[in-house]
Amino acid sequence: MRTHEKFPGVEWMDGTGDFIRVDTTKCIGCANCMNVCLGDCWEIVDQKARLKSLSACMECASCWYVCDAGAIIFTWPKGGTGYRSDWG
Amino acid sequence: MPANDAYDVVVIGGGFGGSVAAKKCADAGLKTLMIERSQNIGEKVISGLTIPIYGFLFGPDFIRDGNPPIERPADGIINYIIKDIDSGDIDIDDSLRVPRPFSPVIAFGYNAYCKPFCQWQAQKAIESGAEVQTSTTVLDVIKENGAVAGVLLEDGRQIKSKIVIDAEGSQGLVAVKAGIREKYPPEAISLADTYDYEMDKKDVDRIFGYSLRFCWGWDEQKIAPPLGHGNGLMVWPYRNSVHFMQDHCLRLDGIKAPNLKKRFQEYHDNITSKLPWWRDEVAPKSSVRARMWEGFEIFVGLDSNLKNMPNHDNGILLVGDAAGLESTELCDGVPAAWFSADMAADVAIEAIRAGNTQKDFLKKYDERIKAHPIIQWSISGKNRFNLRYAQEKHDERLLKKCVHLAWGLGQLTHSLTPLLKMSFLFIKKDPRIITKWIKMFFRYYQNWLHNAYDYSEREQRVCDSGNRPKLGEMIFKICVGGLDLFLRILSPLIKILAVVGYHLSGLANPVMKLLLPIIRPIYLFLRKPMYPIGNWIAEKMIDFVYRADPSLFETTKGSGHIKSRQPG
Ligand SMILES: Cc1cc2nc3c(=O)[nH]c(=O)nc-3n(C[C@H](O)[C@H](O)[C@H](O)COP(=O)(O)OP(=O)(O)OC[C@H]3O[C@@H](n4cnc5c(N)ncnc54)[C@H](O)[C@@H]3O)c2cc1C
Ligand code: SF4
Ligand code: SF4
Repeated sequence: MRTHEKFPGVEWMDGTGDFIRVDTTKCIGCANCMNVCLGDCWEIVDQKARLKSLSACMECASCWYVCDAGAIIFTWPKGGTGYRSDWG
Repeated sequence: MPANDAYDVVVIGGGFGGSVAAKKCADAGLKTLMIERSQNIGEKVISGLTIPIYGFLFGPDFIRDGNPPIERPADGIINYIIKDIDSGDIDIDDSLRVPRPFSPVIAFGYNAYCKPFCQWQAQKAIESGAEVQTSTTVLDVIKENGAVAGVLLEDGRQIKSKIVIDAEGSQGLVAVKAGIREKYPPEAISLADTYDYEMDKKDVDRIFGYSLRFCWGWDEQKIAPPLGHGNGLMVWPYRNSVHFMQDHCLRLDGIKAPNLKKRFQEYHDNITSKLPWWRDEVAPKSSVRARMWEGFEIFVGLDSNLKNMPNHDNGILLVGDAAGLESTELCDGVPAAWFSADMAADVAIEAIRAGNTQKDFLKKYDERIKAHPIIQWSISGKNRFNLRYAQEKHDERLLKKCVHLAWGLGQLTHSLTPLLKMSFLFIKKDPRIITKWIKMFFRYYQNWLHNAYDYSEREQRVCDSGNRPKLGEMIFKICVGGLDLFLRILSPLIKILAVVGYHLSGLANPVMKLLLPIIRPIYLFLRKPMYPIGNWIAEKMIDFVYRADPSLFETTKGSGHIKSRQPG
C-alpha cells in the first residue's frame, strides 16, 4: 500500500498493470491529457504524450475523455489494486 | 466461486445502484452475483455527498425503512454570490431551507460518505442472499446469439447469467466495449476536485449547523470555478468534518482543455485565504484529511444524442450513472441510481419469470425510466447550464436568477410537479406510506444523534427507559398512530384522491410560478421573527427524539438500531 504526500487520505495498492496506455501513432501531442490530470501523471516528450507515473492516478478517466485523437487506451487496473479511500 | 457458475443475474459494480438491484433480485429468489472491482465495497466511489430527500422518500423500501450511516441531515443551502472578493461584496441567497421547527428533524437531504453507505447497502443485499465478489474487474460482456449472456472477468473466466445489470458508474467502460454506448464527450463531464477537512463536531455545529454552502461568482474572482465551465464551489458539513468540492467541465465546446491542475490549485488557495468565512472560521479549526477527484456526467441529459443512448439491450439493463442518469440540475445522481436499479430489478425479475430477456421485453425498463417524474425532471433541468450565459454576459441578474432557480426557493417552480406526482403515486399504492415517511425522518434523526446505524461497530446506543419523554411519546403515538388508523380506514377514498391529485399535479409548477413572487417575500419576511419560537419547538423536538423509545420510529421489525432498556 502506497501513499502520496500531496494527496492525503488516499492509498494505492500496487499491481495495477499498465491500465492506461498511449498509442503514439495516434497521439498528436495536443497536451489535453496533461492539462486535465490532477495527479500530474503525464508529460509531453517530443510532441507525444507519455505517462510519467501512475503513482497518484485516481482513475478518473479525464485523460481518456479529452483525447480527441483516440490515442489513449483506458482500462481499469487489476481488481483490488489502484487507489482506495475512506473519505469519498 | 467455481468458474463458469451460472447465475440468474450478474450485477456489475457495487456502488449506489448495484446493491439495490442485487438485493431486490435476491429477495425475489434469483441467484444473484454482484461484482465489484475495488477491494472493499465503496472505496472507489467518490462523491459529494448530499442525497436529496426524494431519494429516500421514493427510493428502495429497505433504505427508507432502514437505518443507513448518515453524516448529517441537511436543511438548506446558503448561496454566496461573490461579486468582489477583495472588497467583500458578496450577496446571499439562502431561500431554500426547511424552516424551524421542522428542521432539523425534517431534512431536505442527508449527507454521507460513500464507503460506509455503499457497504451498508451491500450488506443488506448479502443478507438477502446475493453473492458479492470484490477485487474483480469485469472486462466485457459475453454474448450468445446476439444477446448478452454473462460477463468476462479480467482473469479470463466467464460468468454466465440470464441477465446482466450494469451499474458500473459513469465511465461505462464495459458498455462502451460492448458497443452498447459511446464514450461521453468532455463537454458532458465535470471533474470534481474534492477535499475532506477534519473538524470538531462542535465547530461544525456552530459554523455550519445543517446548511450546505455554495459559492458562485465571476471568473476574475478566482474563487468558484468559472460558471461557464460547469459549476461552483460546494461545501458540505458532515458529522466531524467538512467536505469541499470545486468542479469544472473538462472542456467547453471547441475550446482547448484547460490546465485544471493549475486552476484548481489557484482557486483552492484563494478560497482558503480570501473567502471570509473560510479564512476566519473554517481554516483555524480544520485540517485536510483527504484529497481526491472524480469526473461526473454533468450535462448528459441536455444533449439529445447522449440522452438517447440505449439503457438496455438483449440480456442487459443499465442503471444509474452507467445509463447517464446523473442530474443536470442539482448535481445528484444517487436517487436516480436507486430508482433505476429498483426498476431494472423489477424488469429483470419479470423477464426471467416470463423466460424472455430480449430487447422487446426489456424495453419496459426504458418506458419506466421515461415515465419516472423525478428522473425525467432531474435530467432535463437547464439552470446550471445557463449559468454560463450569465458568465459570458457578466449579467448579475441572470446569475442570481439561475442560482435561485437551481439552488434557491425558485426550485419549487420546476420541482413541485414531479415531487407531487411521485408522492401521489406512492400514496395510491399504499396510503400508509405517509406514516412510514414521518417515522423515517424521526428514526434517521435519532440515528444521527446517537451515531448508531445498522451494523455500526461502535457500542449501540441504549436509550434509558427511566429518562423517557413519556408525554412526548404519548403525543407521538396518538398523532402518528391516529393518522395511520385514519389512512387505513379511509384507504379506498385516499387512493381515489391520490389519482385525482396525480392528475392535478401538472398544475403545481405553473401555479407556483405565479405565486412565488408573492409567497417568497412573505416567507422570507416571516422567517426571522418566527425563528425564536420555531427554534424553541425544534429544541424540544430534538430532546424528544434523543430520549424517545426507538421502537416508536420503527416501520418494520428491527428497523430501529437503538435498543431500549428497562430500568433495573
Ligand atoms: C464528486 C462527485 C460529487 C457528487 N455529489 C453528489 C451528491 O451530492 N448527491 C448525489 O446524489 N450524487 C452525487 N454525485 C453522483 C453520485 O455519486 C453518482 O450518481 C452515484 O454514485 C451513481 O451510482 P452508480 O451505482 O450508478 O455508480 P457508482 O456509485 O459510481 O458505482 C459504480 C461501481 O462500479 C464499480 N465498477 C466500475 N466498473 C467496474 C467493472 N468493470 N468491474 C467491476 N466493478 C466496476 C466501481 O468501482 C463502483 O463501485 C456526485 C458524484 C461525484 C463524482
Ligand atoms: S490528449 Fe491524446 S492526442 Fe493529446 S497529447 Fe494526450 S494522448 Fe496525445
Ligand atoms: S485517470 Fe485521471 S488521474 Fe489518472 S492519469 Fe488520467 S487524468 Fe490523470
